Amino acid sequence: MKWIPNFNSSNSLRVIFVIAVFILLFLSSIAYKHNQDLNESSKLVMHTYEINIQLERLMSAIKDAETGQRGYIITRNARFLTPYIYSRDKVNTSFITLKKLTADNEPQQKNLQKLFKLITQRFVSFENCLKYSDPKTYDKRKLDNHMFGGRILMENIRFKVDEMNDIEKEYLKKRLKIYDDEISLSPLFSISLFLVALSFILLAYRQISRDFERLKVFNKKLLISSGLISESENIGKFSTWQWDLDSDKIDFSDNQFRLLGLEPKSFAPNRATLLKYVHPDDKESVAKAIDGIVEKKNLPFVYYKIVRPDFEVRYFKTIGKLLTDQQGSKILLGINFDITDEHLLNIELQERNKELEKSNKELASFNHVASHDLQEPLRKIQTFISRVSDADKAVMSESAKNYISKIETSAKRMRVLIDDLLLFSRTNTTKKEFIKVNLNELLDNAESELAEIIEEKKAVIKTNKLPKLSVIPYQIEQLFINLIGNSLKYSQPNLEPEIIISSEKVISADYPKILEQSIKKFHKITFTDNGMGFDPQFKETIFILFQRLHSKTDYPGTGIGLAICKKIVENHKGHITADSTLGKGSVFTVFLPD
Amino acid sequence: MQKNALHILLADDDEDDRLFFKDAFEEIKIQTNVNFVHDGMQLMDHLMNQDNKLPDILFLDLNMPKKTGKECLIEIKKTDHLKDIIIAIYSTSSSEEDIEDTFIQGANIYIKKPSDFNTLKKIINEVVTVNWHYHTSGLNRDNFLLRLK
Repeated sequence: MKWIPNFNSSNSLRVIFVIAVFILLFLSSIAYKHNQDLNESSKLVMHTYEINIQLERLMSAIKDAETGQRGYIITRNARFLTPYIYSRDKVNTSFITLKKLTADNEPQQKNLQKLFKLITQRFVSFENCLKYSDPKTYDKRKLDNHMFGGRILMENIRFKVDEMNDIEKEYLKKRLKIYDDEISLSPLFSISLFLVALSFILLAYRQISRDFERLKVFNKKLLISSGLISESENIGKFSTWQWDLDSDKIDFSDNQFRLLGLEPKSFAPNRATLLKYVHPDDKESVAKAIDGIVEKKNLPFVYYKIVRPDFEVRYFKTIGKLLTDQQGSKILLGINFDITDEHLLNIELQERNKELEKSNKELASFNHVASHDLQEPLRKIQTFISRVSDADKAVMSESAKNYISKIETSAKRMRVLIDDLLLFSRTNTTKKEFIKVNLNELLDNAESELAEIIEEKKAVIKTNKLPKLSVIPYQIEQLFINLIGNSLKYSQPNLEPEIIISSEKVISADYPKILEQSIKKFHKITFTDNGMGFDPQFKETIFILFQRLHSKTDYPGTGIGLAICKKIVENHKGHITADSTLGKGSVFTVFLPD
Repeated sequence: MQKNALHILLADDDEDDRLFFKDAFEEIKIQTNVNFVHDGMQLMDHLMNQDNKLPDILFLDLNMPKKTGKECLIEIKKTDHLKDIIIAIYSTSSSEEDIEDTFIQGANIYIKKPSDFNTLKKIINEVVTVNWHYHTSGLNRDNFLLRLK
């Protein structure tokens, strides 16, 4: 079930979006890392410079001490000794700082240790120089030795400091290199990544705006179609409702409210209110049907009455079908029809049917009366007349004999009338059993039935092959008897009757006015005679009951024969027509369905 | 009462018909013993009474008061010592339904009451002289209704 147009782009849109977001996240994390590293490396540089400075300070303090000592030794002025005295503190301060700075560096700590030893030795050498330069303890050789040793120590210290500086520089270089390696993304790559992300976002934007356009179009269509639906519901007197079985939510269409005689959306429908307007007689069955929906997820046709707020009773028909939407939730779609008009019409029809049945029964009982009770006295009259023997007649007056003969004729005519009338009504009321028979057989039967009169009139009947059809055999036989009998009866005096019977297949579309169009093929059977014919203006009326074209003294008959023919053909969903030229002959055409 | 005479019973409520029947039998030259009953009840009483000789041929009208001919026919065919009686339906009606029904219920022949006395005589002559054993074995729907040649 397709509820809404499928927007496939939404998935790809999501993918594009996620990719773009990931790229941006990646780029910003790289930038962050880059920043971090920059910070680290600048710290590192600072660190190296600090060590460098402290080492230089250390050196300069020692140099100050050396200079001061030299000045003192030369001048023996104690003022020159001041830097020497402070230098020790300075060296110590620098040392502590250095120790802290190189705390995480094992080889530097070792170097610092060695430097410390050297510096300590240097200060011992200073002490010795001072001692041996003092006039009281002057010793030229030892002073020279210590001065020279001091010189060598000083060089060692310088060497050590340089070594330490070098190590720091090397370390810095290495670390900087590592940072450089770590941020391996070139700016070009970053920019291209950024551009990709940007283009992705642009793509997404384009897709979104496109979808938006499509949504707008569909929305418009949806609005139109929902408008059409609600309009057609209004016109067609039906309504729809949806029951979301998962959330148990029920929605009525506007027309549902109108059918209930309410303003649209006048209450929020739920399971309880479904029964609110149902007629008390039907509440139970409708409640059962509703329970059936929940259990069987299906609602067959339910017929019931509702009572509108103004107490008008309307007849409803409801059907439901369970649908599963794209999200997989089960929705029962129900359609209500207001069938009040049809229902009332139906009731009327039923009543008419009952009336028809009743009148049919009356007709049947009339048939019985005619076939039995009416014939009874007539038969008696005829029998009693037949009992008037020739001996009795011999003693009667001429006029009495004449009256007896008139009574006899009238009684005979009465019998023929009753028999024909019965035959006519029986063509309609008796069982209509259709059997597939060869019409030639039925024609043969009809001919043998009429053998006497055929022989008497020396009639010639020419037949070509007739079809095999599904018919009521005795009725078709009667039809043949009546048609041929009719031709024989109204033959021309002094002319041997000739009847030509032929058959051909025709299509009903060729005879739109007279043939049942739902049946495609018919057999057209024509009976052409060379009889006296009739005025074509009577070609319709001759099929009407009791319509006669001739006086009964000339041609005895009841005017029922052709009416029976018409009825028989109608029983077969066919048609009969007649045409004639006065004095030349008549053509009767029978159409029977294939 | 003649000894070897054919026993005929007519069940008919119509007095005139009984009269025609009686006259017709008197005029044909066959030794017969003709008895009459006036309705279905009387017919069954007559047949059930052991003192009465069973008829060789029963002419049965269909439309009778108290018990119709069809009801009598069914009852006779159900009763062991009566079921072999030759039954000729003798009725004014010539409706397909009546002919079909009585044929199915086991009547031997169906006669439509004629409207001519001479025809009645011919019919009675035909029915009385027919070889019933032969006729019954070859009985079918087509020859059930008596048609005079």
